Amino acid sequence: MNLLQYVPGDSFLHKLNPVTKLFAAFLYGVACIVTQSVWVEIVLIMLMLAISTLAGLQKRALHLAKNLFILGLFMFVLQLLFVRTGEPLLVYNNFCFFTTGGLSSALLLSFRIIGTMLPLMLLFAITQMNDLCSALVKCLHVPYKYAFIVTTAFRFVPLFTTEFHDIEDAQKARGVEYDTKNFFKKMSLIAPLFVPLLISSLKKVDSGAVSAELRGFHLRTVKSGYKEYPFGLQDGICAVCILCLIAGAAVL
Amino acid sequence: MLTFDKVSFAYPDAKETINQLSFHIEKGEMVSLIGSNGAGKSTISRLANGLLLPTAGKVYVDGADTQRTKTSAIAKKVGFLFQNPDRQICQNSVYDEIAFGLKVQGFSKEETDRRTKEVLETFSLKGDWFPFTRSRGERQRIALASVLVTKPELVILDEPTTGLDYRECIMIMDYLTQLNKTENVTVLMVSHDMELVQEYAKRVLVLTRGRLVGDGNTNAIMKDMSILSKANVIPAQIPTLALKFGDRFSDVYTIEEMVDAIKKEKQQGKGEVAS
Repeated sequence: MNLLQYVPGDSFLHKLNPVTKLFAAFLYGVACIVTQSVWVEIVLIMLMLAISTLAGLQKRALHLAKNLFILGLFMFVLQLLFVRTGEPLLVYNNFCFFTTGGLSSALLLSFRIIGTMLPLMLLFAITQMNDLCSALVKCLHVPYKYAFIVTTAFRFVPLFTTEFHDIEDAQKARGVEYDTKNFFKKMSLIAPLFVPLLISSLKKVDSGAVSAELRGFHLRTVKSGYKEYPFGLQDGICAVCILCLIAGAAVL
Repeated sequence: MLTFDKVSFAYPDAKETINQLSFHIEKGEMVSLIGSNGAGKSTISRLANGLLLPTAGKVYVDGADTQRTKTSAIAKKVGFLFQNPDRQICQNSVYDEIAFGLKVQGFSKEETDRRTKEVLETFSLKGDWFPFTRSRGERQRIALASVLVTKPELVILDEPTTGLDYRECIMIMDYLTQLNKTENVTVLMVSHDMELVQEYAKRVLVLTRGRLVGDGNTNAIMKDMSILSKANVIPAQIPTLALKFGDRFSDVYTIEEMVDAIKKEKQQGKGEVAS
């Protein structure tokens, strides 16, 4: 499943202004960061899954949440072992394995990671990169060159992922065993794959730049785009909701 | 050598690409797989070396079920040439690139060196070249050399002549034909180039939307317009011309045969061809 790919749809979320979506995703992440309550983090994650369901993206959101959970679990273990505040919770032979402070900090951080990443992924799923780029130029007057760089970088991620898998397949076909359990051997086998990936990426970027130049990239201004991105009532509602959410998250 | 037994395959989140496909390729055959874009040609070639596994049915490579055999074990018998050589090349010198497959498969240092030098000479390549800056034709030759150096029993070529000029194309195909004749290597070639298929393949498999609509002798398939039109394939020029000239040209498939047939017609002063 390509998590950065746009999923066409006609939901309330799809119809929002791309700039509103971008800021909403960012501010949702802020809400997850400002809260100090594990329960609020859980509520925010559940709310985001519900919002994803509204946009018809429940499968993708659950898949992402599952992957982020693994990352969260890793962070949980680290926090649990290294944060030493509060009362000891598990002590064995005078050695304290973790404390109450470590547990609450670990829970908060692991849920925070899931909570902040989910809205960003939803943003990519409900926003076309061209629209995001044009809206940044039209509404916020960001120079086209910079908006293009950012959106193109995101657009290239799935391309490079596919390319990497194809290169990996080519090496598998030559007898390279990537399913080895030896971590160091696996790394030594994967390392050569970055050479063809780097070469093909540079070639793609170079040919893309030449192609853009030949079609008058440098002539593009704010007025060049014909599509308008007006803010509507739904954008206002979204802004109010997200501000309430931040306020609620900060207070609770 | 290669058997597809009622094989079906679907990519995740997509409709079935291959549907109940069955065919068998004997050892030493030179077979071409043709069909329009999206017919499933590349999917079949990836199923044949275990890079993809069937969602239903079985694929056997030399009797081994690909679902029960590691890709690395299949790679010892099956050589795969990708359409884009840049995906395959991963070493900083041509020598290392060609030796890479041998090292991975556990050949001794002496054997690796001997075979690599032999292949470098055969393909007119220099071991100290930096592969990424060579021409497209040279990179394709490097990729093919690194596939053939392991002496696979079955060679699968996915559009082997894309981006090559005529001379490079002929060189590669002549080498594969020689290998097929002298070493009894089985060749499965995926190609859009009907002239190439007509000239080199002995048997053709015609594919349309994941189904086999034709399987037979190249000459017979090239003159069966109903099969070729089903697969949206434009036939090779000589058989098409021969069909237009009528029954007297029914055995004409190559340029040489066409020249001979026209000369014969002229000598006999017959029909529109002679005039």
